[in-house]
Amino acid sequence: MSNLDIITAEVIRNGVVAAAREMGTTLVRTAYNPLLYDVQDFGLAIVSPRCETWAEAPGMTVFVGALPHTVSSGIGRYGIDGFAEGDVIIANDPYTTGNHISDVSVYMPVFFEGRLLAFTASVAHWADIGGKTPGGWCPDSVDVYQEGICFAHEKIMASGEKVEGLWGMIRSNTRYPDIVIGDMQAQIAACRQGAERLRVLCRKYGVDTVNDAMEFAIDSTEIDTRRQVRAIPDGVYAARLMMDHDGVALGSPFPIAIQVRVDGDEIFISFDGTSPVRAGPVNAPEYAIRSVVRAAVKGVISPAEPSNEGDFRCITFDIPPGLVISPERPAPVDSYGYVCNACYELTMRSFAKAVPERCIAGGATLCMPTISRVNPRDGRPFILSDPFDVGNGARPYADGPTMAINVMGDVPNSPAEVVEMRYPLRIERFSLREEVAGHGRYRGGAGIYRDYRVLEDGVTLFTAHENILDPIAAGADGGSAGGPIRVVINPGTDREELMSDRGAYMGQLCAGDVIGMRSGGGGGWGNPATRDPEKVLADVRDERITIEEAKGIYRTVIHNDAGMPVLDVEQTGQLRASPHIKPAR
Amino acid sequence: MNTHVSSTAGYRIAIDVGGTFVDFVLLDEATGEITLEKQPSTPERIVEEIGAGIGRLPVRLADVGRIFHGTTVVVNAIVQEKGVRVGLLTTAGFRDVLEIGRGSRPEIYNPHYTAPRCLVPRYLRREVPGRLGAGGEEVIPLDLDAIDRESDLLAGHGCEAIAVCFLHSYADPDHERCAVERVRERHPDIAVSASHDLVGEWREFERTSTTVLNAYVQPQFAGYIGVMTRRLEADGYGAPLAMMQSNGGVVAAERAAGRPITTLESGPAGGVIGAESLAAKLGLENLICFDVGGTTVDVALIDRGEIIERSQTSVARRPVMGPTIDISSVGAGGGSIAWIDHRGALRVGPQSAGAAPGPACFGHGGTDPTVTDCHLLLGYLDAATFLGSRMQLDEAAALRAVTALAGELGLTVQETALGTLKIAATNMTHAIRSITVEKGLDPRDYSLLSYGGGGGLFAAAVSEELGVRSVIVPRAPANFSAWGIVCSDYREDNSRTLVRPFTEEHLGEMLDGIAAMKQENLERLRGYGFDETEILSDTRLDVRFAGQEFTVTVHAEEAWLSEPGTLPSGVRGPRIHNDEPVFDPLVEPSTFPTGVRKRFVALHRRLYGHGEQDAPLEVVTLRVRSVGQVARPSWPEWPAGEAAPARGTRNTCFPGSEGKQAVPVYHRDELVRDQQVEGPAIVEEWATTTAVPPGWTLAVDRIGNLVLFPGDIAMFSGSGSG
Repeated sequence: MSNLDIITAEVIRNGVVAAAREMGTTLVRTAYNPLLYDVQDFGLAIVSPRCETWAEAPGMTVFVGALPHTVSSGIGRYGIDGFAEGDVIIANDPYTTGNHISDVSVYMPVFFEGRLLAFTASVAHWADIGGKTPGGWCPDSVDVYQEGICFAHEKIMASGEKVEGLWGMIRSNTRYPDIVIGDMQAQIAACRQGAERLRVLCRKYGVDTVNDAMEFAIDSTEIDTRRQVRAIPDGVYAARLMMDHDGVALGSPFPIAIQVRVDGDEIFISFDGTSPVRAGPVNAPEYAIRSVVRAAVKGVISPAEPSNEGDFRCITFDIPPGLVISPERPAPVDSYGYVCNACYELTMRSFAKAVPERCIAGGATLCMPTISRVNPRDGRPFILSDPFDVGNGARPYADGPTMAINVMGDVPNSPAEVVEMRYPLRIERFSLREEVAGHGRYRGGAGIYRDYRVLEDGVTLFTAHENILDPIAAGADGGSAGGPIRVVINPGTDREELMSDRGAYMGQLCAGDVIGMRSGGGGGWGNPATRDPEKVLADVRDERITIEEAKGIYRTVIHNDAGMPVLDVEQTGQLRASPHIKPAR
Repeated sequence: MNTHVSSTAGYRIAIDVGGTFVDFVLLDEATGEITLEKQPSTPERIVEEIGAGIGRLPVRLADVGRIFHGTTVVVNAIVQEKGVRVGLLTTAGFRDVLEIGRGSRPEIYNPHYTAPRCLVPRYLRREVPGRLGAGGEEVIPLDLDAIDRESDLLAGHGCEAIAVCFLHSYADPDHERCAVERVRERHPDIAVSASHDLVGEWREFERTSTTVLNAYVQPQFAGYIGVMTRRLEADGYGAPLAMMQSNGGVVAAERAAGRPITTLESGPAGGVIGAESLAAKLGLENLICFDVGGTTVDVALIDRGEIIERSQTSVARRPVMGPTIDISSVGAGGGSIAWIDHRGALRVGPQSAGAAPGPACFGHGGTDPTVTDCHLLLGYLDAATFLGSRMQLDEAAALRAVTALAGELGLTVQETALGTLKIAATNMTHAIRSITVEKGLDPRDYSLLSYGGGGGLFAAAVSEELGVRSVIVPRAPANFSAWGIVCSDYREDNSRTLVRPFTEEHLGEMLDGIAAMKQENLERLRGYGFDETEILSDTRLDVRFAGQEFTVTVHAEEAWLSEPGTLPSGVRGPRIHNDEPVFDPLVEPSTFPTGVRKRFVALHRRLYGHGEQDAPLEVVTLRVRSVGQVARPSWPEWPAGEAAPARGTRNTCFPGSEGKQAVPVYHRDELVRDQQVEGPAIVEEWATTTAVPPGWTLAVDRIGNLVLFPGDIAMFSGSGSG
């Protein structure tokens, strides 16, 4: 029995959060793969033997939330007594980890004085995992076997000893074995760092006190979360979206539907009306979906605090098997991100009906061109995956920003100066695409124009494209939706060509061609006719909207006075007082 | 201009402006004796405050040869967004770079995360046709008519400053130079900042941000320097003024006036420079600089005798490029507020009571319980002697504030106060751990140098958590940053991004670039009156494995550069194991290419745990620093004599003890060389108190530093101190 006091509890909670962060620092510091050290495409957590998150490190939100379940699946395989000190387990089976096959989890049990204290767990995007598409994110696989090699919670270290056969197998089945093995070792180092910090806490405070402190932290977080959930009006809040296609059955849209039922201090999530499993790789494993929904709920309830299990105990999921959000082996899942993003946005949309002040309007979909050259005949082979910013939804109190998509977390864009040094490309434009920003009392974030002039021959293009038919960037409370993503080859010339499909390799492009990427805009919030006229004036002055739009959509009269726009307060007042005829876009 | 002082020693003054006080250090160059002074820091009348503080120093300004000044003018103007209206001229197609930024979301769950507002509105960001390629080659000539048109437009909109930032200007600054010349000709009253003049490195958003921030504060800063210079002259000062920079060296005020952004972190930098100087004196290789102020704790590292730097920092979440001492700040200081969070847990900081109203015990109307209130209630501070009795602390107000918090927590006042200090100490501990772990270093290999007003009360507790070897409290710890400024040299930094394979073919280009930058530095320093023999130059290269993103900064010995040799081709070196020490050129003679390669690989292994000895490398940025050396202050011996007795006792509560017990209180100025004091004890001095916990021992070294270590003297193997 421990003698826990409130001060020690806080010191230990702080210590466990710091341990998780040190895991992240260690992974970034020792990784080989730029996706890990630059793009931070990973997640780390400390998980109790009861599979509750004690603490996590910043990373991709979709990853962190899936780790407790990954550990739980491992316990399912080995039994709670089936782990020994020095074991390290590897897993990427999508159906028990909640990731696609490129995202590999590495976790280890942490013992103190012979007792199982916790698991330190990591998940990271590997440079390669075999499979038909180098680096993963296959657009058209039809089963998981095409996507790469699969580990169903295998021990790569057993009692501190390398399981050599498995290491050899990884080495001979991946395209960049040095990087892959290096990253796996970085994941092991990260888990060990977390384990060591936990043991230091146990030595100082005793294992029972550490356990009690974390239970106390989770319980008190849960109490606070439930208090906040009680403040949300009871009811069922639902949202639905049509996805363009699944990558294999082109031209057949399918629905994602979510229902959020708030009842007292409980939240129930269901997916009635969601499409059955699809033939193409857009299926998203159930635990990825749980993870993004949890992230959206946390974004609504306590966005700024580090999370633990207490944030999520109030959430109950009802997910029947066999849907696009609950695929079973061997359904393909490699490009699961589209549906994950949709579920995040739909959860936010649902809550916007209940507690609008805590939500944001819809954000645009992922915009990521992959520009490459494979054949050395045309010059040095290269591959550039260049995710960049999109319009995020407006807030109920402010305009939306242009930023990474919500489920991506902390992912920066690439400077033009760096891209041009590395690749035979010249970026000719990197500017705001204001015309797709949703209108509203608060405007959605603008999209972005990013034009790449190809400087050498033999270049191909592959793009991520979704949510063209049914805008994911919905407006809220009378705001209009953001405009969709566009890809235009040779814009503004007589060879201009609009691409409207993902999965296709465009090419080959030749020296002089221009790839015009245009990311989508965010949804607006509120009736544009109520936007502060001074803000509308600034929008005109800053060339975000035209004088005509100011009048027609924002009901604000602005004159051009020798090149400078001037607000006509009187006429604006009259216009706003008259019956509102023309609706927003 | 005569910046150079005659060989006869005189006096030197450092002025360090902080949030609450301006600190002054007067150095007698002949004896090394220092005199301290403090003056309240009131931003709106800072020149008068400085004049008043200098006036109290026991010296005639006419006898002072150097004044070094650390300032907060720039950081305050940026944080409070009180700069001028800035216009931006930039490359066609890129006017939104400043607004878009890098687009990341550091708070991963937070859909409401908001980046700082763009300082230049869109209509004042103007595009100019003209384009360089990544290699610096001209793709489209600069449109000079567009420069005229757009700068006229910006002038018409009332811009007081114009920032010019074109793509790839680090590769060839000609377009920017032409534009700047043209704008200055047409609009002589507008301050113009050019990106290449501030930053010779790539990444357009960060470079634009730096240039715009410089422009934003430049008119105000130049005005401040003008007023300050005239005031000092009027008071009889006959030598030039120099300003402290973020890179840890001073620069002539005239040059700083055009480059205010380089003075951003001048105060905290001073402390680290002082620490470096002290570490060298004590023969300490590894030192954690631990500066506890009212609002934050600032932490920096000296590793193997060298200050760890970085090439980018941020202010008010806006990036600033340029060499800066790597200082991490965490919101934990004397004024940090203890509060109860949404889960009912006790938290400390980052909110601070600041200078106004300050902690409850300051009696200026503060009601929130702060760290200082807890220290007072537990008996670490004396209400009557705080700040040399200049301020009487209000114990009743502190008690009211902490009692209210204790009531909410269901704890006693003493438990609450101890808990607050414990949580504050853990926050500081995690801050230090994170900077060491990030760099692959172990805090147990370090000593901790404690300064700032609040350092002495936390140093031992934090050290115990970290397992560091010993704590050093220098003389006048509350004025240590100012003391560091007084020890500073003139520093000129130059850098240039030059992305090339690190091969024989490109060796000449690299060496030419280095030589040209060094020449620029030397000319400037000679302009300040230094001759060749007083100038030291130091060359570094940012190198990476070809294909990687992260670079490691590698130091190149001067000897390698004077005889560069050639790159050995096709030689496959032996693999070095992870535990192999960093390549040491003093032991192992080398040429430029092999030396750089070996050092890079060794450092890469230390930082990242791996590194192939023979993999292709790429150089990214060349860096040259030149230092005009100013005579180091000497270190007067601390007086020996009979061990001083305690002045008395005070009832103080240390963690783990039952309630308060009578603890001896010493006055620092009375302690003698080699005197030892066993904990528990309190050592007081002007503006600082040092706690020696039970089980710790304090010793006074030969130059008057307090050295604290766990256990007794027999267990202490020596920090090299004394």
